Amino acid sequence: MTWQKWSYMDHWVLDTPQGGQNPYFNRRYLEQYIRQLAALGFRGFDTFFFYLPMAAQLFGSVKKFEEFLQDEGFDKITGIFSAYPNATKFTAPHVRSTHDRIFADSERIVEMVDGLAVENLIVMPTNTYFQVAPITDEKIKITADLWNRVGEMSISHGLKLSCHFEFWGGIRTPEELALFFEYTDPRYVFYFCDTAQHTIAGVDPLELFRTYRERCSGFHFKDTHTIDRDEAYRTPPDAELMAPNVSRWFHEMGTPEGLVDFPSLMKEIVSSGFDGWLTVEHDQAEVGGNNYAEATSVAKWYIDNVLEKVEADR
Amino acid sequence: MTESITWGYAINQWNVRLNVFVRREAHERAFKTLSALGFRTIELAAGSGRWDNLGRPELIELGHGSIEGFMRFLNSCGIDRVASMFWDPGRPGEEEGWAFLGTQRRDDHDAILAAATPFLDFLPQVGADRLVVRPVGSAWMTGPLDGEAFAAVGDLWNRVGERSLESGVRTVLHLDCLSAIHSLDDISALLAATDPALVGLAVDTAELTIAGIDPVEFYRAHHDRVRHVHLKNTLFTDSGAQYLQPGAETAMLNGGDDRGIERWFYELGVEGGLVDVPAFMAALDQFDYSGAVIVESDHGSNPADLAMLNSWYVQRRLGVDLRSTVPPR
Repeated sequence: MTWQKWSYMDHWVLDTPQGGQNPYFNRRYLEQYIRQLAALGFRGFDTFFFYLPMAAQLFGSVKKFEEFLQDEGFDKITGIFSAYPNATKFTAPHVRSTHDRIFADSERIVEMVDGLAVENLIVMPTNTYFQVAPITDEKIKITADLWNRVGEMSISHGLKLSCHFEFWGGIRTPEELALFFEYTDPRYVFYFCDTAQHTIAGVDPLELFRTYRERCSGFHFKDTHTIDRDEAYRTPPDAELMAPNVSRWFHEMGTPEGLVDFPSLMKEIVSSGFDGWLTVEHDQAEVGGNNYAEATSVAKWYIDNVLEKVEADR
Repeated sequence: MTESITWGYAINQWNVRLNVFVRREAHERAFKTLSALGFRTIELAAGSGRWDNLGRPELIELGHGSIEGFMRFLNSCGIDRVASMFWDPGRPGEEEGWAFLGTQRRDDHDAILAAATPFLDFLPQVGADRLVVRPVGSAWMTGPLDGEAFAAVGDLWNRVGERSLESGVRTVLHLDCLSAIHSLDDISALLAATDPALVGLAVDTAELTIAGIDPVEFYRAHHDRVRHVHLKNTLFTDSGAQYLQPGAETAMLNGGDDRGIERWFYELGVEGGLVDVPAFMAALDQFDYSGAVIVESDHGSNPADLAMLNSWYVQRRLGVDLRSTVPPR
C-alpha cells in the first residue's frame, strides 16, 4: 500500500511575458500549474488565504476552483495558510489588543472555504523573533489565548487551527513550544510540523512529532542544508531572505546535502497511525536559477523511490 | 491505446546551450524529473566534445567509468534504459575532424558508416534498439536532390541499416521541417531507395506538420515503415518556402525572418496545436504500432515545466496510466 495523501503547498513561480509570476497570473497559468502537479500524482492542494479571492475571481468561486482541481485528479483543497510575520499595531499575537482583529481576519478566511472539506487553517502563531523578544511566559500565554479563541471558532467550521513554527519566529525552542502547547487547548489548537523550519532552529522534527503526535494535524515536508548556528533568526527585518551568510534556507527533498531524516520521520508517521495529509512545500526553489517545476518533480521522485520504500517496511 | 508502446522522453531540451547540461547533478535532476512523471526511458542525442558528455559513448564511459556505470546511474535515477539515440551525421563534430559530411555524397559514405559504428556498438549496451538519424541535410544547403542523390542517400542508409541490425538496432530516418527530403514525393523517393528490411521511418508529428504534411495521414499511408515516433506539437506551418531561406535554422526556426516565429515546437496539449494527437495515437493503435513513442519538448522553455505538461497530457488526455507503470523498487 502506498501513502495516498500527498498534498502540495502553493509557492510556484511561472514564466510569463511579464517575468516570473505566481500561477494566479491568469486562469490559463493556474490551470497549467494545477495540471503540472496532477501529472506527479499530488491529490491535495494547500494554498495561502490571499490566493482564495484570486482563485474565486478566475473560476467564479473557490468551490468551482476546487471542482477544477477534482477534475484534474485532486481530492480537494486541504489546507489554508495565514500569517502575520511582521508585528504591527493591528496584528501582533503577543499583544492582546490586536486579538479581535486577528480573530476577525481568521473568521473571514474560514468563511471563504465554508462548504468545502478543507482540513487545516495553518498559521504562524507569532511574529518575527526580534519583534517579540524577549520571549516571556506571559507573551506565550497571551499568544496561546488568541489561538485558543481562533481555534474554537475554526473547528466549528471544520478546520483545525494548526500552528506552524518558523525558525525565525517568536516560539522556536523546545521549551517555548512546550509552554505554548501547555497553554493551548488540545481541542482547538493543533501542531503543524515543518521539517525544515525546526531543523534550521536546531530542533529535531522527528522528536517533536513524537512529542506532539496527538496534536499533529499535518506536515510541510521540505529540507534544509543549514542549521542556524549564528543566530540568524534574530536578523531584522527578515531572516528568511536577508540572513548575512545564508541565501537559501529551504530545499526540496532529495538533495544530497539535506539534513532532514525523512525516511525515519516517514517510518514514525506510518507506525503512529497518523492519517492526515503530508504536504510537500518548496519556498525559495527559484533561488540560484533553479525552478519550481524541477524541484517539485525531484521531490516527488524522492517520495516515489525512497519514502514509498519506507512505507513498504511496515 | 496500444499496450505495446514504450513511452520515453527526449533529453535534448535540457541541453540547449554549450555548457548548461554537463554536471552529473544536472543529469540526475533531469532524469529524476522524467522518472517521477512516468517516463522511464529516454532518447539521447549525439553531440560532440567534452560538454556534450551524454552525446558520445566514449564521453559517457569517461564520465561514468564504463557503460555499465552509466546504466547504474540511470537506474539509480529511476530510468530503466535508453530507448534510442538521435544522430545527425551532417552535423560536424570534433571527433570526425569537423568534417562536413553529406549523405548525398557517395565519397562521404565510408566516413559516415565509420562515424555511426560507435553508436551502434553502444546502443545495445544501454538497452536501446533505435538509431534515429537525419537522413539528409537542410534543403537550403543541399539544393534540390536529383535521382542520383536519392539513390546515394538510400544506399548509405541501407548500409548503415544493415550494420545496425548486426547490433540488434534498427536505423530509422527522422524527417524534419528543414530537410532536403521535404515533400511527400521526396519521401516516397527516399522510401523507394531504401530497403524496408534494413531501414525504417521515424515520424515526428510536429516536424511533418510544419512541413505541411498531416502526420496522421502520413502514418496511415506508411505505417508499415514507421518504427519510431517523436510526439510533439506545433502552432505553425511553413508559409511555403521558409525552409529554403539561407540559414533557415536561424531565419526560420529562431524567428529571424519576416514572420518572426521564435518558437515552433510546443507541448502536446497547447491551445491551438495543429497536431491532432488523439487521432495520431488512434492511428498507431489502428495499425498495432509496437515500439517507442518519444515525447519531445524541442526548443521550448523550461524543460521540467514542459515535461510536466506533456506527462499531464499523456495521462489525463490520452488516458495512459504512466505513473502506475513505475515498477516497485
